[in-house]
Amino acid sequence: MNLLRQIWIVSIINFKSLPHRIWQSLVIVVGMGCVVGVLLSMLSMTEGMHRAYLNTGDPGRALVVSEGSESENNSAIPRDQARIIMDAPGIAKAADGSPLADPGINAGIPVLRLNGAKAYDTLRGFGPKGVKLRPEFHMVAGRMFSPGTRELIVGAAAHTQYQGMNIGDKVILPDGEWPIVGSFATGDLLDGQLIGDTETVMLAVRRKAYNSVLVRLQSYDSLTTFKKALTTNPALSVSVERQSDWYKKISEGFSTFFSIIAYGVGVIMAMGALFGCLNTMYAAVSTRGREIATLRALGYGAFPVAVSVILEAMLLSVTGALIGAAIAWSLYDGVQDGFGNNVFKLTVSPALIGMAVLWAVVVALLGGLLPSIRAARRPVVDALRAT
Amino acid sequence: MKYFPLVWTALSRKPAHAILTLSSVTIAFMLVGLMIGLNTSFERITELVRADRIFVDPRFGGALPLAMARQIAGHDGVARIAAIGVVGGYYQDQKNNVFVIFGDTGRQRTRPEWPVTPQQWKLVRDNRAGVLMSRLQAERRHKKAGDTFVVRAPAFDKADGTRFWAFKILAVTGDAPAWTDGYIEGNFDYYDKSRPPAEQGNASYFELLAANSSRAPAVAHAIERSYANSPTPVLSFTEKEGFAGGTAGGLDVATITREISLAGLVMILFLTANSIAQSVRERFTEFATLKTIGFTDRLVTWLVFLEAAAPSVAGAALGVALAAGLAAQVPRICPPGWGLPAPAMAPAVYIAAAAGAVRLVGTLK
Repeated sequence: MNLLRQIWIVSIINFKSLPHRIWQSLVIVVGMGCVVGVLLSMLSMTEGMHRAYLNTGDPGRALVVSEGSESENNSAIPRDQARIIMDAPGIAKAADGSPLADPGINAGIPVLRLNGAKAYDTLRGFGPKGVKLRPEFHMVAGRMFSPGTRELIVGAAAHTQYQGMNIGDKVILPDGEWPIVGSFATGDLLDGQLIGDTETVMLAVRRKAYNSVLVRLQSYDSLTTFKKALTTNPALSVSVERQSDWYKKISEGFSTFFSIIAYGVGVIMAMGALFGCLNTMYAAVSTRGREIATLRALGYGAFPVAVSVILEAMLLSVTGALIGAAIAWSLYDGVQDGFGNNVFKLTVSPALIGMAVLWAVVVALLGGLLPSIRAARRPVVDALRAT
Repeated sequence: MKYFPLVWTALSRKPAHAILTLSSVTIAFMLVGLMIGLNTSFERITELVRADRIFVDPRFGGALPLAMARQIAGHDGVARIAAIGVVGGYYQDQKNNVFVIFGDTGRQRTRPEWPVTPQQWKLVRDNRAGVLMSRLQAERRHKKAGDTFVVRAPAFDKADGTRFWAFKILAVTGDAPAWTDGYIEGNFDYYDKSRPPAEQGNASYFELLAANSSRAPAVAHAIERSYANSPTPVLSFTEKEGFAGGTAGGLDVATITREISLAGLVMILFLTANSIAQSVRERFTEFATLKTIGFTDRLVTWLVFLEAAAPSVAGAALGVALAAGLAAQVPRICPPGWGLPAPAMAPAVYIAAAAGAVRLVGTLK
């Protein structure tokens, strides 16, 4: 009889007897469910934030900050330098021949979280090219701010985290209250932020320098030209990065931290589940000792028997993982959340679920291996005699 | 006690089974211990941060002129004030965030609880380009007293046109409990004179101690209001208020740790209950024999219970011990700049673990 067929038959017999061992088997299901549920719930935050950052970065744009800056807030580009940057080669041109580049400003604005806690939200400045540079930007309600006036527009998700973020609300800035006149969406981090006219905001917060300059590259490869022009210019001391790389770098910083915690907790719990799996599978093998011996006596090989034990562990473990993933997904996927001054959606992605299933397979392999060897090795005669 | 051998034999007859149960209970309690510990740490810091310390920040970024210090010091209810300069950058690698805090002569009095001796404070006053480095920071950067330490600060120009800030480490000082990421303390005068001339004469923020901690929030509010329409509006809040809003970026640590612990306990409860049920199922004949030779139903139940309780209790103890060992390592493995507090292995943790063990054992019965 061929090997696969043997494995198939032994496994079917095995699965059919599962209902008799229902409580025992549930240990693996519940265990793995808990592991995956907790792991994915924690990772939904890392993943959500990671995605928000990645969405914000467009590979077709480049960001210029002062040399070595690791955040836009820590960077300062004086006006004269901004002008040189905008004249550099490699920048795409608008219909009227002007460069598609926008020197921007980032200011922290004190706001209140929904629970009343003090926090900062980001106020960004958009210049004349701010919107043209960002095809992902569109108004959702109200109207765009008028350049030169003290008006703001707000990201569509800001109100889920902070107080006073609706059209008609007023935001306190140094020279008075600025009304929110519209709401926009970009599908990324900007959805949690406020936007005003760059020059007007700079006057208000008394800044003399921009924070950064964002440009649209002529083509994907123009980055080299652009970068070379800026970094070899002795009048400038700036760093140039593809915007997508910039956000990737930032997001990796916090991802590492949260991932360490999430995977740390996950691994500890998985070890617990592994011990549970071992225990259950040993018990399963010992209760089915005679059954297995009978199969062996009928001519089934040791290998199919061993494989069937591992398959059983996998079936249970993967079922548990899927249940856990389903719980995490239904609770958290798409839920609006905030961390620090970032507003984003929690995400339980198919890739995360796939990884959880992989964990389940590994736990089952490790947890099923030793019991399966015992099942396969046990002398047939002894097993048949045992009570 | 005389039944101890009976329980022991029952357990040792299936050592793999007993060890696996013990291990999974241990793991679960380690997790629970770490989670409760982490939560306790946050609670402890919430208590440690001072209600009487007030920060006065520039409301919309930038800096505050030093002249404001005298005005603020004159505010009703303000006992002490220090002007602070901050330089943020990195050490060697961009991932190695560094913040150096430069306090003026008032700093020693606004940080009375810091484990810094008067001699050490004097050192940093007398050596302009020197810093005090807390033990955690020094260990992380492999530095000792006498070493040089260069911070690259892209957003902090110096008068000499560079953005490199070089310091000599004067002493390695004790860590302040609420300052979970350690600190590097420099000399304000050095900071101020190092900035480009146009930037000199400004503080990054002011830090005050209120005369009366219960009135501190009102004092903070009054200061904020008095500068509302000035060229330098401020944001003023007590350390306690700031911590309540800012810790963990607004994450609800209590809920998260509780839910993780709960998941761990559910898993373990299921596992242990099953392992007992299984051991009973396998030994019906044995129990029948015991009863035949005169054991009462009650006694047999007790024996089974003890058999279940032994690995649970041992596992709980072992798990919490492991958690305590691991907790001590947290500040060292935590990436720089994040300041995740070490899970506090306070009595609360042991009590909670004991309660958990009792609950677990109770459910098994």
